[in-house]
Amino acid sequence: MRIARKAQAGTMQSSDLMVALEPADTLVVEIESTVKQQFDHLIRAVVDEVLARHGVTAGRIRLTDRGALDYAIQARLETALSRAAER
Amino acid sequence: MVTQLLSSGDRALARAFIEAQGLAFEPGFDDLVGAFEAGALVATGARAGDVLKMLAIDPAWQSGALLGEVAGELVRLGLAAGHDGLFVFTRPAHAPSFEALNFKLLCSRAQVALLEYGGRFDRWRAAAEALRGPPAPGDAPDRTAGAVVLNANPFTLGHRWLVEEAARRCQRLFLLVVREDRSAFPFEARLRLVREGTADLADVVVLDTGPYAVSAITFPAYFLKAAHPVAEIQMELDLALFGQRLAPALGVARRFVGTEPYCATTRAYNRAMQRVLPAFGVEPVELPRRQLGGLPISASTVRDALARGDEGALPALVPQATLEYLLSDEGRAIRARLGGGKGRHA
Repeated sequence: MRIARKAQAGTMQSSDLMVALEPADTLVVEIESTVKQQFDHLIRAVVDEVLARHGVTAGRIRLTDRGALDYAIQARLETALSRAAER
Repeated sequence: MVTQLLSSGDRALARAFIEAQGLAFEPGFDDLVGAFEAGALVATGARAGDVLKMLAIDPAWQSGALLGEVAGELVRLGLAAGHDGLFVFTRPAHAPSFEALNFKLLCSRAQVALLEYGGRFDRWRAAAEALRGPPAPGDAPDRTAGAVVLNANPFTLGHRWLVEEAARRCQRLFLLVVREDRSAFPFEARLRLVREGTADLADVVVLDTGPYAVSAITFPAYFLKAAHPVAEIQMELDLALFGQRLAPALGVARRFVGTEPYCATTRAYNRAMQRVLPAFGVEPVELPRRQLGGLPISASTVRDALARGDEGALPALVPQATLEYLLSDEGRAIRARLGGGKGRHA
């Protein structure tokens, strides 16, 4: 799918994350996390997997995470992607 | 549960609550939100443009998740309104609470800390570092460059002279053009005229300040008419941000400024440079202004000449590119506005 518009999902609560998407020419993934030092690579792996599954090859993906678990990251990212998709 | 406070009754409640927490209620926000517990307002927050303000939480509820709920809702609204980042000013003691919400501390002073959500500063720094080029091998932190922060409203021969003098004193000179669009000449035009007016100078790099120097965020009083009581705190924060963040990103060891003949606020800012910058390893260097017929050339001299309709005075005051712009249709439209009321730097 293509990121056609700005969209976001999630909250700033503990164990949750906020995802903000916007159209871009290339794929840029920016991750901020309170547990970045320990888990940056694992968060990135989940994000890459979801993006690949949806065929996303371009767009700016910003995550600010407060220790969310894998399925929360997947759910927030998928929600944001469906909001950003062409209607 | 955080909700928008839209009714006049809710807003009156918010005002009383905010004032009871020792904060000033400032009208002129884009969003005002609050959280209720058992029918009582226990937390508030507001957003004006890309600044979060009036964040207050009832002391009995401060250990919980309310700050995250309120700030998160305001960030959500701010991003939805098209901002790519949000600032918050807070007391230094509260900065860690915001850092836990993924706000990044930009600068902390005795009385105030400035934090930002959204990673904008990292993007500004990446762009600036790309222009700066890699530091010489084994030479980190390489601090050999100089900087001038200028509004250039518009770019004059006085600026040109300052740039030439500063460039002679350092290996590379960065010209940081103030992005804030509150001046007679729009940012894009000011930036272009600085670029064109210095294109012949080697090792002079023009870039924009973003919101990180002399902006409505860091130094709003610069754009006000009268002296403002908090101007001193603001200008020190602005300069500390320059010393702590901008100068290291650019490898700047010296900041050049022209002596200020006319404007008391700018004079106070130049004095504050001497107080604040050395602690960050940045030497402030004040150079005398270039004069014409015994009077210093400044952008306000140019705006005065334009307001009087005195085109004959312009060639002695501005470089060729600025002159051509002033005489263009776009320049004429601005001159028409200058004929009317005018404020400081406006």
